[in-house]
Formats: sequence, structure tokens, C-alpha cells
Amino acid sequence: MKRKSERAITRVVIATGISSVVTQLLIIREFLAQFQGNEFVIALILFNWLILGGIGTLLARWVTRRLWKATVNRLGWLSLVLAGLPAVQILIIRQFRDVFFIHGSSVGFYPTLTFTFFTIAPYCLVLGFVLPYSLFVIRTENPDYPGTRIYIIDNIGDVSGGALFSFALVFLVTPLQAVCLANLLLVLSTCLLFRVSSRHHPAVYLGTGVTVAILAVGIFLEPTSLDPSKGKLVFYSESRYGRIQVQQDRDQFTLFVSGNPLYGNQNLSMAEETIHYPLAQLHQINNILLISAQGGMMVELEKYKPSSVDYVELDPQIANVQFRFGLIKKIPGLNVIHQDGRAYLAGSDKIYDAIIVNLSEPDTFQLNRFFTDRFFALARRHLAKHGVLSFAMKGYDNYLAEPQRRKLSSLYNTVTDYFDNVLLLPGQKIFFLCGSQPLRTDIPALLAKKGIHTRYIRGYYYGNLTHERIERLNALIDPTAPKNRDYSPQLMRLMFMQWFAKFSTSPTGFIVVLAILSLIYLIRISAEEFVLFSTGFTVMGSEILVIFAFQIFFGYIYLQIGMIVTVFLAGLLPGAWFGDRLRYKSKQTLAVADGLLIVLMGLLIIVLKQGGDYLPVAFFLVFGFVISLICGFQFPVALYLRGGDAPAVTRTFSADLIGAACGTLVTNVVLIPYCGIIWSAAGLIGLKLCSLIVMVVLHEKN
Amino acid sequence: MKKISRRHFLYCSAGFLCSAVQANAFWPFSAEAGAAAGPADIRGHVFKGDAPEKLWKWTHEGYFYTKLDNKLVMCGICPNRCLLSPGDRSVCRSRINMDGTLYSLTYGNPCSMNVDPIEKKPLYHFKARSKAFSIATTGCNFRCLNCQNWEISQAKPHEVRHYELFPADVVKTAQSTGCESIAYTYSEATTFFEYMIDTARLARDSKIANLWISNGYINQKPLLKLCEVLDAANVNLKSFSDAIYRKLNGGRLQPVLNTFKTLHEQGVHFEMTTLIVPGYVDDAEMVKQMCRWILTNLGPDYPLHFLRFFPRYKLDRLPSTPISTLVRFRKLAMAEGIHYVYVGNASYPEGNNTYCHNCKKLLIERIGYFIPTYNLDGNRCKYCRTVIPGRWT
Repeated sequence: MKRKSERAITRVVIATGISSVVTQLLIIREFLAQFQGNEFVIALILFNWLILGGIGTLLARWVTRRLWKATVNRLGWLSLVLAGLPAVQILIIRQFRDVFFIHGSSVGFYPTLTFTFFTIAPYCLVLGFVLPYSLFVIRTENPDYPGTRIYIIDNIGDVSGGALFSFALVFLVTPLQAVCLANLLLVLSTCLLFRVSSRHHPAVYLGTGVTVAILAVGIFLEPTSLDPSKGKLVFYSESRYGRIQVQQDRDQFTLFVSGNPLYGNQNLSMAEETIHYPLAQLHQINNILLISAQGGMMVELEKYKPSSVDYVELDPQIANVQFRFGLIKKIPGLNVIHQDGRAYLAGSDKIYDAIIVNLSEPDTFQLNRFFTDRFFALARRHLAKHGVLSFAMKGYDNYLAEPQRRKLSSLYNTVTDYFDNVLLLPGQKIFFLCGSQPLRTDIPALLAKKGIHTRYIRGYYYGNLTHERIERLNALIDPTAPKNRDYSPQLMRLMFMQWFAKFSTSPTGFIVVLAILSLIYLIRISAEEFVLFSTGFTVMGSEILVIFAFQIFFGYIYLQIGMIVTVFLAGLLPGAWFGDRLRYKSKQTLAVADGLLIVLMGLLIIVLKQGGDYLPVAFFLVFGFVISLICGFQFPVALYLRGGDAPAVTRTFSADLIGAACGTLVTNVVLIPYCGIIWSAAGLIGLKLCSLIVMVVLHEKN
Repeated sequence: MKKISRRHFLYCSAGFLCSAVQANAFWPFSAEAGAAAGPADIRGHVFKGDAPEKLWKWTHEGYFYTKLDNKLVMCGICPNRCLLSPGDRSVCRSRINMDGTLYSLTYGNPCSMNVDPIEKKPLYHFKARSKAFSIATTGCNFRCLNCQNWEISQAKPHEVRHYELFPADVVKTAQSTGCESIAYTYSEATTFFEYMIDTARLARDSKIANLWISNGYINQKPLLKLCEVLDAANVNLKSFSDAIYRKLNGGRLQPVLNTFKTLHEQGVHFEMTTLIVPGYVDDAEMVKQMCRWILTNLGPDYPLHFLRFFPRYKLDRLPSTPISTLVRFRKLAMAEGIHYVYVGNASYPEGNNTYCHNCKKLLIERIGYFIPTYNLDGNRCKYCRTVIPGRWT
């Protein structure tokens, strides 16, 4: 009987791991679709998730000792709650957004922080609570059961959940279907748990039935929960990169990607500006490269009768939907390529007359890569002598605000290293035209000479882009602004500034509160917990760094990035197994592991500085695996050093989670944007050095 | 009565539940609730203790305010009627109470100035084909979520780069750039009232027209003073619903309607602009009510512009307005009896042109700001000699 219930609890823990990772990924996607999808928000959601998990874990011991004894039955009920909550949570996020915020408006930093915190709090607290609670339940029957084992079992679930979502569910089902599938496993394992504990009470059947009903009803309600308030939803799909929706309002189709109205079929002015400003400069137009395209662009391109148009779109669904709903049309010579634009250029020998980058603002690491020194160098190599590169930033009507001025200056200074002539045109967006030949501003005259007819440019250019406006914009560029580099993404920092300026807020209050809380926490924890805190920090930090670096060298390749995320989880398993074996060697092994982490991060710095371009994909996979292996290794050792009892378990679990939370936030929004990739890695080394010193000092004291 | 079996009951219940789910019977939030949901009022607030310690060069004592006890002052420019203690800053961010006196901080320091075609304001019935010297300082008494000039309208004077251009310099610059008018525009001109009216007086003396491009949120007294020097205005009628005014703009409807009445009574030429925000302002019934109010209170001759919405500033998660909606509203407004209705920010040539309200012939063809056809003879239709409302010369 003892072994039976242990087995049943093990199944529940694995199912919880699967469900939690699937839910986490779905919730992140949901928030990105409902709020701004910048790197700050992504980090904020992960931070909230991990910190709440950590708090839940910390609460487990206190609650179990004072209020709620650990029993199999109660674990079963908790698991049922955990299985039902994700569906409710997703529906709440979708509906409560428009209850608390004005429909159609974007939301600033503090409201996002508050909303994400409170909507995921119930689930994350219970989730964090369940893992140590499961251990306490097992220990009621088997007091010697090692805490490490539950950690390993949970990791098996996490790895499986990550792989299940990234390689299967995301391709096959909608969010609430995925929630249902992932949580049915948990419901099933919970049923088996109740069976083992011989609970045949009607309440158990009712609870299980209600949970299954919630999961099923979630699927039914999914289409309704996505309905737009205006017009109708004529297309909905979850691609691996985000949510794709097409809304129809009368004769207008608007493509929404992750909640943002990206392109429409009636944006003639934007299509004209994007195509004609660069192409008007050229005498001879044969080959054109479009990195992403929007409504009406192909019609404008066709006027030049180019022999080939290579249209690169990372997400095949975006291209398909645009063709299907008439946003862009198929023109002669069009060649659609589904690949990361930068990766495509790196692997192609083709020379173009014009490269038109039609991407949105660089508010994520992925997008930033199209506005860096190395990208501009790459683009230059693929342009004919007379060729033109064009890209655009958000525009302004009558006043260029300071963060935007710095952003444009940074871009200008970066691109002028590769092009002799750079012209900024203040249209609806600010268009950068870059070429080796002199660039002209009298676009309507150039178009008239070519016999190309336009509606917007012909009528509005001379009123909106007056000579004074163009001159004033170009004069406002600050030549001392730092350049935007792959390794040091200045633009990200400026994008954050701009985001805060838009909402007239500053993150200072949040940073101060966080720093004080972190300080209090760090003062109160033991040396072993600090090691785990710093390891959690380093693992998440290095995962973000590795994904960032991978994208620089290889482009955004969904499956390979999914694999990197998976190996960062997968290493924990064998690591914990080894750690469990070697835990008796105690402090030295912990210190050696810290030393190894330092060496590895040092290696990453050297490799990136010396030969990042020549690295094979395997390097990133092996690196991630070894980092997580060491992290997994440290956990049982630290737990052993802390005594392995109930308080030790909750405190070590939570130290790991809180460290991971801080690592995510700090690396994403402070280290990389402000210090660059190399110094971020150095920062992680610094943290690990502190942890090593703490261990050595403690060792000597003992 | 036929008995129902347990199985039959279960089948029926399941069927009922399924149909109820499909009909969203259990769904507490209707999709149409979008416009009604969220905070109901986004009105701005006084910035307590936010005034600068010292006055700067571009300070000017306010023209309309009341001194109260304990050095309190109440600004009288706009319906916000900010009650300021010493050291406070007004809702519009441009006015402060310094030791019991109200000062404007935006006198002679525009942060934006351009030479624009007059059609860009938009003013379609005022000196067509002329240029307007356009200036703005920081500040606005509204908080529009879709503001296209939020970088200056939602900023304090010291937060931006600015020029130094006192009223006499503005007039000189307008003259030197060949502009026939000065437009007080971009942010909210009412908030730099002192600067605007002093400039306007000088401009009038120099035969330069004064254009007020505004949200119309102004009190009666300052407006009457302004009308003395005003030649034309374009005033936003952001919607015809007080609830939407409060929700999207942080203002109220009635004071804006009062402004239209005053302008009409004072004989100032004005044009009205309504931005059609999908899900909020694109309600045909509301547009009809608005047109009826215009006809009853102002008559059919003031031009009305329906502008296309684009996602901007904080209201950036809505689609643009379908062009067909604008076309429909134009037809609807004309059917109600308004003579001149235009469609802006959209590629719909007919909606940009002026047709005689009597003979329906094309008077002014506009391709953007470019006017290839002009069939007015003075202020009359070249074909039927009907007087076309506006100030044409």
C-alpha cells in the first residue's frame, strides 16, 4: 500500500510538472496577446510566475504545520484545483482585461505588473505549494524519502511538458484545447491517487466531474472569448510564433498578430511610402528583397515591373493569411520564403537592388537583430552598387520626443558605418533610406519622371514632408549617440525608455521595492540557499543569453530554440541524480560546481568574442545542457547540507525559484540592454564568484 | 401526461446545455460590451506641488483666473477650472500657482512650428491653397488616448526642446514665410491662451488671419475674447456622447457644444472634425443625433470632416476605420441636411472635394493638399452663383 500511494503521488507530481509548463507557456502567450509584447513584459510575466511559485513553496511548510496536515486526500483535492485553474485563468485574463482597462488601449508597466500578478497568483501559489506538499505527504508514510527525488520527478514532468507543448501542442491545438489535454493527465493521475487512498466519497466524483467540465467548457467558450467587440473574427490560428487573427469590419480586413493590429487591406498610404521612397531613388530595378510585407505593397511594387521579388516572412501563416484575405497579392516574379530574414540573407548569394525591411519596432531581442551593425553590414553585402536599403521607425506628427530622437540617432550612427548616404524622411513612419549613391528628397518628381502613379504621395507629400521638416529631422540627429550592436542592443534600452515615457511612468519605484525585498531575503537565507539562489539566477540568465546569442548567429529558428529551452530543463535531471550520489562530499562539491559554472560562463564570453560566427548549433545545446546539469547537481547537495527536513526543502526549492525569477528580470531588462551580452555574462560570473566566496568562507568557519 | 425517462431527461438536458453554451448564455461578458468596459473617466488631475521653484523667461500672468482665500487660485480658461494651491500645476501642465498668482509657463516658447497647407488643419472653406504658419507649445486639458501629438500635449513645458518666439516674432516669421494665417494648433491652443491671444492681436494688425485648431474645451469668457481676433477655427467634436468623451478623452461634451454655439453666434467661420474611432464613435445612430444637433443649433453650412482613425498613442490595439464607414457617415450626414461633409485621412477622392450644395457641381477638386480644380468665383459657385459658406479670400 505504501509503495502504491508513493507511485500514485509520483504520477501526480509528473502530471503537475507537465501541466505547469504547458500552462506557463500558454499564459505567457496569452499575456503577450493581451498586453504589449516587449521584452520587459515577457520578463515581468516570468518573474511574477517564478516569484509566486517561490512564495507558494515557502508557504507550504508553514501551512502544513499549522493549518493543513499533509494527507493524500488533500493532495488530491489540490491537484484537482490545479487542473481546473488554467482554463479559468485564461478566460479571466481574456475577459478581465477589458474590465480593468479601456478596450483597445495599451497598458503601462504598473497596471501590467498588477494585472499579471493577481491573475496568475492563485495558480502559481497552489503550484508552488503542491511540490513540497507532495513530499510531505510521501514522508507521512516514508519519513526517509529524499527531497531530491521529488525535485527529479518534478523535472521529468517539466521537461515532458516543455517538449509536449513546443513540439506538438503548439502546432495542433488552441490554447484551451492544450490546457484541457495537458490537465486531463493531471485529473487522471489524481483519480488514481484517490483510488489508492480508497476515497470513493461522492464529493470526489463531483470534484473530478466539475474539473473535467471546466476543462471541456473552456474549449466551448474559446471562440466566444476571442470575439472582437467590433466586426467579426474571420480567421483565428495559433502559430508557433503567436496568435494570428483577422478581423473583418465591413470591407476592411485587419491582421492582428498577438493582439496588435499589424496590417490591413486599406492602408494605401503606408504601402506607397514604404515602397516608393526607396525605389524612387533607383534607375534600374530588377531584384527586390522584402523582409516582411504589408497590405498593398505588392501592388505598388508591381508598378516597377521587377524581375524578382523575394518576400521573406518568418511565420508562414502570416503570409498565407495576407494572401488569402487580399492584403497582399501575388505578382509576377514573387518568391515567398519562410525563413528568418537575417538567416536568409546570411545564407544567400543573391544581390538586390533594394532591400526593404518592413518590421515593427525593435522591442524584442529577436527584432533588434534587424537594426544592428552586423545586419547592416550583411545587407550592404547583398546590395548592388547603386542599391538602397530601407527600414522605418515609428513616426511623429509635429515634435520629435527625446527617447525617439536618441533611438533614431543610434540607428543613424550605426547604419552610416556601412552606407555613404543616409536620409531620414519623416512620413507616417520615419523612413531610413541608405545607399552609396546620393539620395533625393523630391520623391513625387522622381516618380513622375518614371511614370509611376501614386495617390497618397502625389497629393500629400509636399504638405507632410516639407523641405523644412526633412531638414529639421536630419539636423536633430545626435552624432554621439551609441551605436546599436548585436552584442550591445542600445535600441532595446531606448525602446524601454520610450515605453515608460508613453505612460509617464518610471520603473524606479518597482526597482527600489524589489531591491529592498531582495536584500532582506538575501540577508535572511543561508549560504547554501544563496548558492541555489545564485545558481537559479545564473541558469535563467544564461538561458536568455544563449537564446539571444543563438538568434544573432542563426536567426530565429523555432524548433532549435525550443530545443535549447528543453536542454536547459533536461540537464537538471541527470544533474540532480549525480548530486544525489555525491551529496555526501558536501561543501567542496558545491564549491567545485560553482567554479565550473564560472568557467563555463567565461568560456561563453571567450567563444562569443573570438568566433561566435563559427559556432555549431551543438555548442549552444551542449552548453545549455551542462549549465542546467550543474544547477541540477547543486540542488541535492545544498538540500543535504541544509538537513533535508521540511523547512530545508521549502527554503531550498524557493531559493532556486526566487533566484530564477530575479535572473530572468535582471538579465532581460537590465543586463543585456544596459551592459550588452559580454558584460551580462561577466555579471553572472560576478554573482557566482560571490556565491563561491560565501561557500569558501563558510567552509573555513566550520 | 407522458412520463419522461431518466435517459431522455439527460439527453434533453445535455442538448439544452449545449445550445445555451453556443448562444453564450453562460458568458458573462458580451462582445459588444467593449466600449462600455474599463474605466469610465480618464480626466486629468491637478499636479500637487509640481510647480517649478522659480518662474522662467516664458512666464506670463494668466488673463482669466480668480484669486481665492489662502492664496488659492482658480483658473478660468477651460471647464476644468483647476483649483490650485501655491506650488500646484494645472491639469494642462502649463499653468501654475506661484504665491497666489496664476502664471502660464508657455508664453513665447513654442516647441513646434511648421508651415502647413491650410487644408492640413483641416480647413477646406478658408483661404484655399494658402499656407498657415502653425505653432504649438506643450499642454492639453484633455487626455485623449489616441492623441497624435502626445509627445507635446502630455508634456510639461520644461520637458521639451523649444524655440524662443514671442508674439511679434511669430507674426514676423509668418510674414517672412509667406503665410496668410497663423494656426494655433497641434497640442491644445487653449492652454497657451495668453500667448495665442497676444499673438493674434498683433497678427490681425498685420492682416494675418488667426486660426484656432482646438478641442473646443474652453470657457465662455475667454472664448468671447478670442472671437474678437479669430478668423477661423477647426474644432473637434470627438463624439456625441458624454460617456465616450469621459472615457477616451478625459473631457465632457456639453462645454464643447457650447463652444460651437458661441462661435456661431460670434460669426466666426469654423469647421468641425470627428474622428471615427471603431467600436466607440462609429455608431450611425449617434452620428445622426450629432447631425441633428448641428442642424438645429448651427445650421447646415458649417463643414463637417469625418476622419479615419489609425491606431495611435495608447489606443493602438484597434483596427483603423474602414473607409466604407466614413463614406456611409458622409452620406448619412448629407442626407440629414449638412451641406459640406468631408472624409479625411483616407483614400476616397470624392470625400475630399467640394461640390456646390445647390447645383452639385464640382467646385474644388483636392488631391491631398494639391488643388487642380477651383471653380469658385470669389465666394460664389462659378456655375449657379450660389454663395458657398466660408471665407474664401
